[in-house]
Amino acid sequence: MNDETFLSLKAFFPQVTLTEKEEHHFKSLWSVKTFNQYDLITEAGNIERYFYFVLEGVQAIYILNEKGEKVVLGFSYSGSPSGVFDSFINKQPSYTFLEALKPSQMLAISFKDYQDVFEKYPGFYKWGHEFFQQILFGRLSREVELLTLSAEQRYIAFMQRCPEELKVIPQKYLASYLNMKPETFSRLRSGTSY
Amino acid sequence: MASLILTSENQIQRLNHILHKVKSLQELDASRLTTPPHSKAWNVVEVIAHLNIAYGIYIPKLDEAFTKLPDVDFGASEFKARAWQKIVIAGQRPKNGVRKWKMKTLKRFEPLLDNQSLTQEKIDAIFEVFFERHAHLKEAILKSRNKDVTQVKITSAIGPIVNFYLPECFEFLLCHLERHMVQIDEILG
Repeated sequence: MNDETFLSLKAFFPQVTLTEKEEHHFKSLWSVKTFNQYDLITEAGNIERYFYFVLEGVQAIYILNEKGEKVVLGFSYSGSPSGVFDSFINKQPSYTFLEALKPSQMLAISFKDYQDVFEKYPGFYKWGHEFFQQILFGRLSREVELLTLSAEQRYIAFMQRCPEELKVIPQKYLASYLNMKPETFSRLRSGTSY
Repeated sequence: MASLILTSENQIQRLNHILHKVKSLQELDASRLTTPPHSKAWNVVEVIAHLNIAYGIYIPKLDEAFTKLPDVDFGASEFKARAWQKIVIAGQRPKNGVRKWKMKTLKRFEPLLDNQSLTQEKIDAIFEVFFERHAHLKEAILKSRNKDVTQVKITSAIGPIVNFYLPECFEFLLCHLERHMVQIDEILG
């Protein structure tokens, strides 16, 4: 991992202060994983082995419905965390897939090392507290959007907040995430400004 | 008749489920694994050995198919099973935990184990072959996601009466595995 990459990783944990020696140890816990476009990073039915920090690329997390269709639950992208967190923590087979929608490079930390950093460096508890608050607020906000907004309003709200790199992934993934048909998404994309 | 739409993701999810199940079977006592429910029935190890034989026939066919399949760069897409293949697949697929249309196994698919000499070592070796062969199946499904699977057909293990495109072949094999997982549940009671 080069210095620039490590700086990005450190910026993801702003609540944590480490000495030089501790930083060296923390850095050694992460490995770089590379995935091709459309690789399945995590397969449903397998246990998630890593917590990821995304360096490059876009990934989708999705579940298959009864008809076998992909229902997209969320995305990860440069600078964001990734992985199937419930499976990672519970050590249970995942219900969801994590797929690289673009060629991806990610930093990965194993379950044991993830647990150990909390024990070794208490600053991670503060990070964890704030991180999971953000995740919870994000999921609540998404639930409200799905339950209260029209398709057009959902499209506008999403397009206003989503990073540019997410706007160029295949439409069917964005449509599924917004709970609309690809045709509806396509119509909104061509005729709605945001 | 409703279409049978096949996706690699659905197949991978089901295969992972089966692999976990067989891993948990491997932890059972040898006596449970080698005791059939009645004298004419197979025991669990024989079922696993049968699955090894069945998939073993497909390994060279799949390997050869991959040498001919062109790459695609748009990722995995859905595949609609053809009518006759859909019927053949349905014949294998268990419904609500029940095996429909019980059928006689062809001689060349029979495990033919000497149950009296099934030591723990031999049992472990049979499970090992299962995991090795079905890792090949997983790899084949994953590889097919980047291939134009409409370009090559393979002949089924029962002969040219049935041919398969790769997604149909995987579905047939998965339904066959699922059918025998039901059989194993019946054996173990």
